[in-house]
Amino acid sequence: MTDPTDFEKRTREVLEESTARLDGRTQSRLTQARHAALAQLENPARNWWRSYVPAGAAAAVAVLAVVIWSGPTPPVASPVEDMEILADAEAPDFVEDAEDLEFYEWAAGEVET
Amino acid sequence: MTAFVTLWGVYSTPDFSSKFGGVDRSRDQDLMTTSRALDQFLSSVERRAFKIAQLGLRNDDDALDAVQDAMMKLVQSYASRPVEEWRPLFYRILANGIRDMQRRRTVRGRIMAWLPIRVDEDEEFDPIAEAPSQDAGPAKRLELDQAIGVLETAVAELPPRQQQAFLLRNFEGLDVNETASAMGCSEGSVKTHYFRALESLRAKLGEVF
Repeated sequence: MTDPTDFEKRTREVLEESTARLDGRTQSRLTQARHAALAQLENPARNWWRSYVPAGAAAAVAVLAVVIWSGPTPPVASPVEDMEILADAEAPDFVEDAEDLEFYEWAAGEVET
Repeated sequence: MTAFVTLWGVYSTPDFSSKFGGVDRSRDQDLMTTSRALDQFLSSVERRAFKIAQLGLRNDDDALDAVQDAMMKLVQSYASRPVEEWRPLFYRILANGIRDMQRRRTVRGRIMAWLPIRVDEDEEFDPIAEAPSQDAGPAKRLELDQAIGVLETAVAELPPRQQQAFLLRNFEGLDVNETASAMGCSEGSVKTHYFRALESLRAKLGEVF
């Protein structure tokens, strides 16, 4: 680049002077704009998994503890008892009502489909 | 409870952190370094960038918007680029922003080209905010005030490409190659625009300068 002429130097000096005179409000807004732009660099989602590790571990341990210490499960009715009920001569009430029977047949068909 | 304490202990060990958190820590450091470098870069250009936008748009609020947009876009899209590329990239973004704003208000711009730089009359006068940052003698200050007014009016009246070439080359101090990159044109065009801008300004300001 060739050396700047006096005219170029002078115009540059004047523009620099004008820039140095920027008022406080403008400077403040420029600073705010810079901070807003730089804030984009921070991505709060990037470390989300690390913050959930302790809580997840605690929850898993708690579930495990409940499963281990909750005691024996209640007895399940044996299939033989179910057979006795079904084979009982006294039919359940709903079988006696013809209208209800139709309804239950329709409902059973709906379930199958 | 013992299991939880054991698990917490494993999570907290340096070994676990080095395996699963080391990448993050390194990334944090990179991010901090980039953030610091960007902060430094943007502080070094923000005032001149504002002046360039102000002369191009003739409106302080629009100029601030253009500078903020340029800052945002640089950080969003080019933070990872080498530091030496930031300046031409930033001014390229700013020049595009100024041009887009000029296009959006072409009609308004044509009218305002004949008016002095707008001063918001609605805003209350704040003597502290409005105070000049440097003090000078009254005569020197008056002379500078006049020179600034005349030069800024003359620069603002230049055709957009000449104005860009003049401000980026002379005021911002970019070399021909960087100016060409910022303006999105050839180095030959930059030289032509710059030469014409100087000729035009000399013709208008010869007596003052």
